[in-house]
Amino acid sequence: MWVFPALFLCIALGLPLAGVLRNSLSDISAVDFSPQFGIAVTAGGQALISTIGALLIGLPIAGILATYRFRGRGFVQALVTVPFVLPTVVIALAFRELFGSLLSPGLALVVIAHIYINLAVVVRIVGATWQQLDPRMVVAARSLGASPWRAFLTVTLPQLKAVLASAASIVFVFCFTSLGVVLVLGNGGTRTLETQILRQTSLLLDFPTAAITALLQLIVVSIALLLGARASMNATQNARNLRFTRLSVIRGIRARTYVFLVAIAACIFVILPLISLASGSLRDSHGWTLQWWQSLTELDAGTTRLGSPLTAVVTSVKYAVITGFIAGVIGVLAAMSVLSHRLGRAILVIALAPLGISAATLGLGFMLAYGRPPLDLRGADLLIPLAHSIVAVPLVIAVVLPTLRSTDQRFAVAASSLGARPTRAFFTAYGPILRIVAFAAAGLAACVSLGEFGAASFLARSSSPTTPVQIVKLLQRPGDQSFGVACALAVILVLITLTLVAAIDALSRKRWVKV
Amino acid sequence: MFSSVFKKIAVLSAASSLALLAACGSSQEQAGPAAVTLLTHDSFVVSEALVAQLKKETGITLKITTAGDAGAMLAGAVLAAGSPSADVMFGVDNTLLAKATNADVFSAYTSKNLDLVSPALKTDTGNGVVTPIDYGDVCINIDDAWFRKRNVAVPTSIDQLTQPAYKDLLVVQDPATSSPGLAFMLATQAKFGDQWLSYWKQLEANGVQVSGSWTDAYESAFSASGGTRPLVVSYATSPPAEIVYAANPKPKKPSTSVLTDGCYRQIEFAGVLRGTQNEGAAQQVVDWLLSPAVQADLPLSMFVFPARANTPLPDVFTKFATKIPNPLQLPATVVDANLKTWLNQWDEVMNR
Repeated sequence: MWVFPALFLCIALGLPLAGVLRNSLSDISAVDFSPQFGIAVTAGGQALISTIGALLIGLPIAGILATYRFRGRGFVQALVTVPFVLPTVVIALAFRELFGSLLSPGLALVVIAHIYINLAVVVRIVGATWQQLDPRMVVAARSLGASPWRAFLTVTLPQLKAVLASAASIVFVFCFTSLGVVLVLGNGGTRTLETQILRQTSLLLDFPTAAITALLQLIVVSIALLLGARASMNATQNARNLRFTRLSVIRGIRARTYVFLVAIAACIFVILPLISLASGSLRDSHGWTLQWWQSLTELDAGTTRLGSPLTAVVTSVKYAVITGFIAGVIGVLAAMSVLSHRLGRAILVIALAPLGISAATLGLGFMLAYGRPPLDLRGADLLIPLAHSIVAVPLVIAVVLPTLRSTDQRFAVAASSLGARPTRAFFTAYGPILRIVAFAAAGLAACVSLGEFGAASFLARSSSPTTPVQIVKLLQRPGDQSFGVACALAVILVLITLTLVAAIDALSRKRWVKV
Repeated sequence: MFSSVFKKIAVLSAASSLALLAACGSSQEQAGPAAVTLLTHDSFVVSEALVAQLKKETGITLKITTAGDAGAMLAGAVLAAGSPSADVMFGVDNTLLAKATNADVFSAYTSKNLDLVSPALKTDTGNGVVTPIDYGDVCINIDDAWFRKRNVAVPTSIDQLTQPAYKDLLVVQDPATSSPGLAFMLATQAKFGDQWLSYWKQLEANGVQVSGSWTDAYESAFSASGGTRPLVVSYATSPPAEIVYAANPKPKKPSTSVLTDGCYRQIEFAGVLRGTQNEGAAQQVVDWLLSPAVQADLPLSMFVFPARANTPLPDVFTKFATKIPNPLQLPATVVDANLKTWLNQWDEVMNR
């Protein structure tokens, strides 16, 4: 079972990184460490604030989505996933339009944007476990006189410790290694190691320093992930009784108001920056217009020469589907082997490692490893989904693992004692829950693919760019048209994400009911 | 039932590995002697028709691979020097040229039509390894309407930007993360020499804003795009681009203009990558980039000027693109030797 993910990681991750390291670690002696440490510390502080913010705002949303059945639930769930999918450059621009006069670039803007982007990580990862908590325990606590807040603190929160640690470590890593947001919304005080790596690789071509900086980043990231993994391992030992249950109907006026307020607040928070994109796609210097939308299919050879925007959308969707499949299968298998293999923790850290490797480094590595004979994959459509899968697999694991871990193992024991072979026993115990969670995970992977820019910009052929690459290309030119069409494409990306995520959620719900 | 799921997963995994193998096979079939891969940056654009014409005339199938911005592209090429992932590289500019030649990225070839290139552009070909293909100037762009409305005189030299009249009006890009930002920093270095840092101190005191990227500076901060600052570091060809990419009906003339002082010349080169298996065909592609048809296509594709002398320019260029009389430039070797120091000094002055 562990052979597939291991093989995949070796091929897709080990080989490219080995290439970069071999080519860059030739002369270390001249490297000056000190500025890197200072930046690591400030970036760490920024990431910590962002993580706490994302958890505080994400938890109530995850809570109502995981426990209640209400009209528009699917929409809210899909909507909060959207920020995660938009290219960071687009989000950063939207925030600049929104806060342009209120906030100047700096820590506050960076933190807000990071919370915005990582909301989906908290809601998705925590939600996947929360959904399977037994609501009867809360009901019991309430009937014994506990207030909703107290019931949450004493009953729900302890059971979520594991998944909270896991989600927090991932959000921290994302904010610590952030690039696009920091470039547009940050100032000198919000630099990350990633911006240093960019400067060292693509301006100074100082590969030894870049390699050391990347290594330092990888160390911090590994520590964060290890802490997350440890906390989640310890916490799950006392919470083994999770079974998936149905959503409950909202009872009582207070609960109703609470759910309503949280849902509305979530929608407003997510939609507000998107409105500036939508209005950007409907305006030119003269006023309101539909011409950017009308020109989406035509802007081919005529004036943009970038290929028709709609072709980019088709390309992106194709890659997203392939990535969802590859990352879904690999991620689920990896999570299963983490659970069943005795080297579980080691496998886990290796499988999560891609989170700490910058997309730029990854893209560079892919180009070195697969961009030339004997293995020239650039012509094939698989290279970009492969790179996207590497980025997505850790998220898939983060969704699947806590769920699997907290599933009752007695089913497996019972099946074995009844004579089932190990595989059969495993699937008897974990199969039903796997199918739900695998869909959620594949959907998240597809979303990662839809919004990924870093690696794709290294690997895309100019004739078939992905949508984010196309958007950024458009934004790199002057003119109303460039901005208008880029906004229209961003809006399309939002709509596709909404549809895709809602469809996957619906599918997983359907399966759920059958089980 | 669950084992059937497992079987399905196994079958699908096997299928996807097969697809992967098949993909390797098919791409190798295409890589015959007549296929040339052009490695370039993500701003490169060329009309499909020209690629088709190349195929028709020479039999060469051109595959275009982008690899991030110019710096990222070069980084990949330097790491793979000697066993390249492509045959030709386009897009190294005079700022980065020394990095490329130091790493011995190119093999010796300049286009047989090099003598048709304007003399000023071929003073440095990295000792005969690259051919100039296009050039452009990084200049400060002016939102004329803003100045007209407030009755403020438009600046005519970058020295004036430190004066109180122009306080809080300029937005530049961080030279460490943006190519025009770097070019403008080099322009101040070329113009003021030893005094360049004190110029930046004065700019800082006069409220210059630093953006991380061209996109943020031009699309968000520049007043012509809805921001608050009427002076932005951009390109001399941005005004004609404003017309080409304007909303319909197109305006008669651009609302922005160019400050012709303090402009930095960027020249983009192409060269054959050392270690290519297709030396001959790769050389033909370099010649093709300098051919009349491709040269005439460059202005509207990438908003640059063609390097080949006497190439006819499109109307929008002859009318609205400002020719810069005496652009600033530094020798590639000087830039290479000092860049790291300059960037650090700039960082300190700008409190970043």
